[in-house]
Amino acid sequence: MRAMRASPAPGFGGASIELPLAISEQRTMTRGVPLQLLGISKSFGSVQALRPMTQTIEGGEMLALLGPSGCGKTTTLRIIAGFETPDHGSVVIGTRDVTELPPNKRGLGMVFQSYSLFPHMTVGENVAFGLKMQGASATERTTRVREMLALVRLTEHEDRQIHQLSGGQQQRIALARALVTNPSTLLLDEPLGALDKNLRERMQFELREIQHRLGITSILVTHDQEEALTMSNRVAVMSDGQVIQVGRPTDIYERPRNRFVAEFLGTANIVAGTVTAQATEQCWHVAFAGEPGASALVQSDVPLAPGGAILLAVRPERIEIGPVVAGTMQALVQDVVFRGSYFAYELRVPGQDAPFFAYSQSRKEIPADGRVGLGWQPDNAIILEDAP
Amino acid sequence: MTAGIPLANPDAKARRSRPYRLAGPSWVIPVLLFLGFFFVIPLGANILRSLQAGQTATNGPLFYYIKLLTDAYYGGVILETLKVAAISTVLCLIVGYPVAYFMVRFAGRWNAIIVFLLIAPLLTSIIMRTFGWRVLLARRGLLTTLLADWGVIPRPINLADEPFAVYLGLVHVLAPFMILSITAVLQKVDVRLEESARVLGASALGTFFRITLPLSLDGIATGCILVFVVTCGSFLTMLLLGGGKVTTLSLLIYQQFNVTQDVGFAAAMGNMLLFIGLICLTLQARFLRRSGGKS
Repeated sequence: MRAMRASPAPGFGGASIELPLAISEQRTMTRGVPLQLLGISKSFGSVQALRPMTQTIEGGEMLALLGPSGCGKTTTLRIIAGFETPDHGSVVIGTRDVTELPPNKRGLGMVFQSYSLFPHMTVGENVAFGLKMQGASATERTTRVREMLALVRLTEHEDRQIHQLSGGQQQRIALARALVTNPSTLLLDEPLGALDKNLRERMQFELREIQHRLGITSILVTHDQEEALTMSNRVAVMSDGQVIQVGRPTDIYERPRNRFVAEFLGTANIVAGTVTAQATEQCWHVAFAGEPGASALVQSDVPLAPGGAILLAVRPERIEIGPVVAGTMQALVQDVVFRGSYFAYELRVPGQDAPFFAYSQSRKEIPADGRVGLGWQPDNAIILEDAP
Repeated sequence: MTAGIPLANPDAKARRSRPYRLAGPSWVIPVLLFLGFFFVIPLGANILRSLQAGQTATNGPLFYYIKLLTDAYYGGVILETLKVAAISTVLCLIVGYPVAYFMVRFAGRWNAIIVFLLIAPLLTSIIMRTFGWRVLLARRGLLTTLLADWGVIPRPINLADEPFAVYLGLVHVLAPFMILSITAVLQKVDVRLEESARVLGASALGTFFRITLPLSLDGIATGCILVFVVTCGSFLTMLLLGGGKVTTLSLLIYQQFNVTQDVGFAAAMGNMLLFIGLICLTLQARFLRRSGGKS
């Protein structure tokens, strides 16, 4: 597709095929510039939008700021971009403190949810804008624009008007425009929020692949947990102006610190219990309120005090549905929903207000009275920090 | 591709060609009648009058038009008209754009109050407004007294009968047209476009000239045409604040009717003014069509 474009000069056509490689070599210059947020905070009037936040984003890493709207993730991004000045703290890119610099002096790339392509310019002019601002020569601009369009696989669209492009194409042009100046850091503000589901999933992988190839330090702001888990190396879950938990996607998902993180990332069955006795070196028996005699094994790295109340979270796909056995948690199957790649069971557990959910790859045999026993591996029960 | 659809639903095509409409074409008849009686017929009568009344009987039907375009005095008046309109348009743009930008980007909940303040001058009678300016600008008025007290001018002078006063009066009443035209377009310019330009390395000023200004050209064009045409047609401000130093076509028409009572010549001048206005509207239509294709 790329090679089909008419070559403007002899020998140019062959070169354009190898371009993505050439770019990644050039990029070694900016590859791996770390970004540090040192105690930044921001208030708007009486509202504390961001509590003091310290975070280091390693060079080449993609960090996702994940949280509901109003959690401070966008404020953080706008402080990094330079649209907001933090009340306290500083932003350091590489070794340079950029806190006082205007947005145009920070050497960043940014992609907005609304694409924000300039409607009065062609695709090529949009991509070339950053280079023009740097004072690059016309020939250099032409070459770089072709490289970037090749990178996002839209070479043939250089002379199109913006409104002639589809949403996905516009998003790719926005990415090309953001990357053309070799920015040290790429800021992504809900970059895929305006796309439909299928396209969004495809773009998630494409964006991740490009980010990986260029090795550019990136910050992704999103409220979509799937997007955060798919695209980033680390996820910072934010709520109420502060970071609740930072970690690799698997850690955040498998070991959420508290109820908010457990429930914001995927579905979690939350159940309160009381530690009754130690079973093995790292396992404890936990009894459940409202269900006399029912208990389960819970694994913990730190010793648990017998008699202490704890709050547990169990992921639906970790819950095992089996026959009713004395001494285990029992439930009543309310509904079974076929979700394509799995079956979702809605369960009512005596003594629990909220329904339980269990996901299973295969369809289980449910007895006529709907009564089943629930169980899980001791290490699949997550002890939350919240008070039960 | 769609061959199967008419077979499956024979009515589909017929139904599609008769879309649902709230009103029929006959609903415009009252408006057409009204405009016909009170706009088209008077205009036609005015054209006839300019070709038949007064001295045209002896000097040929085009006498007044030839006089208007060849006589140095009247040529000067036409130029003066265009000059006054052009200057007040530019002044309105200079005054209005920053206000419009502020309203769209920063005013927030104060926006409604600003809009009211903008429209307020239009709610007062032009006579009151103009005499208000006379009070402020007269020899013993507030402005000149203050300027004299501060030593800016040696002694109070009369500013009320000067071109300056005319421009002040015109900008006062016409700036709202400019501002509201620009805000209407500027509101549709996403602030994130400006932010994108900033991140890509454009300075604040560069962002304005490369992004904001080009994207608000439609509003500027509309505002300019409005101000220009309205200025061409206004005469009270020139009459009451110009002190006889600003003679425009519309002021001359007023004088032709009231002083010399040369109705034919006044009609010719009126048609000339109308012609200028039509040229402006044509220019605007072409401009909007051209930039409309891009956005």
